[in-house]
Amino acid sequence: MNLFGVLDISASALTAERVRAEVVASNLANAETTSTPGGGPYQKQLVVFETEEPGQGKFAQTLSRFGDLHARGVKVEKVVADKAPAVRRYEPGHPDADADGYVSFPNINPVEEMVNLMGAAQAYQLNVAAVQATKGMISETLQILT
Amino acid sequence: MNWIESPTMTRVEHFLDLVTFRHELISSNLANVDTPGYRTQDVDFDGEMRRAEQRLEGDPVAPQVQEVKGLIERPDGNNVSLDRETLALAQVQLQYRAGVELLRNEIHMVQSAINEGK
Repeated sequence: MNLFGVLDISASALTAERVRAEVVASNLANAETTSTPGGGPYQKQLVVFETEEPGQGKFAQTLSRFGDLHARGVKVEKVVADKAPAVRRYEPGHPDADADGYVSFPNINPVEEMVNLMGAAQAYQLNVAAVQATKGMISETLQILT
Repeated sequence: MNWIESPTMTRVEHFLDLVTFRHELISSNLANVDTPGYRTQDVDFDGEMRRAEQRLEGDPVAPQVQEVKGLIERPDGNNVSLDRETLALAQVQLQYRAGVELLRNEIHMVQSAINEGK
């Protein structure tokens, strides 16, 4: 792999962290959503990260000097719904209330979501720093002959 | 050895190769900072440099990647330490700059000989 391949790795992390932030935003936006197209309240979504297998025939791989690749990017393997049961609140006047007058609300803790968002923002920042380091190294190389 | 490529140049080339390789691993560690079960990877820089030194002639060999021991592991099995990686990133950047600067000097010396010292 060369320095351009390193950019790919950092870019994969930027994408993954952005997806994570999007999912958090969706969870926060739907913290009080009691009805969804599929029926029932909104369910909290969670992202699952996984290390990325190096792609076949990629530019970075073609230029690879050492055949064995150890450096891996990251990808969002799946987004899963949280299995925690909905929170039931007594609101008889609510259109989504059941026969007993209880409404099911999504089990979303805003504090937990904010912490998750901060984690995503921090990881994003960190990988931007890595991109800048790589960029700096590439441009230094280009100045060898000047 | 040919007259344009000095031993220093070959040495610096190996150094830059190794620094780039380490930079790759650090970027990979940073990318996987939230991946469950991911283990921090690094190379034994001094050992690899010595190994490259021993075979100045000939092709470089792929460095040995090893898991870093003694890091605190999170409950999800990931043991990437942000402090360690950011520090290593800064270190690698400076090492790379030093290497490039050395290479530049060598090339300028050859260039100055080509230009008859003008």
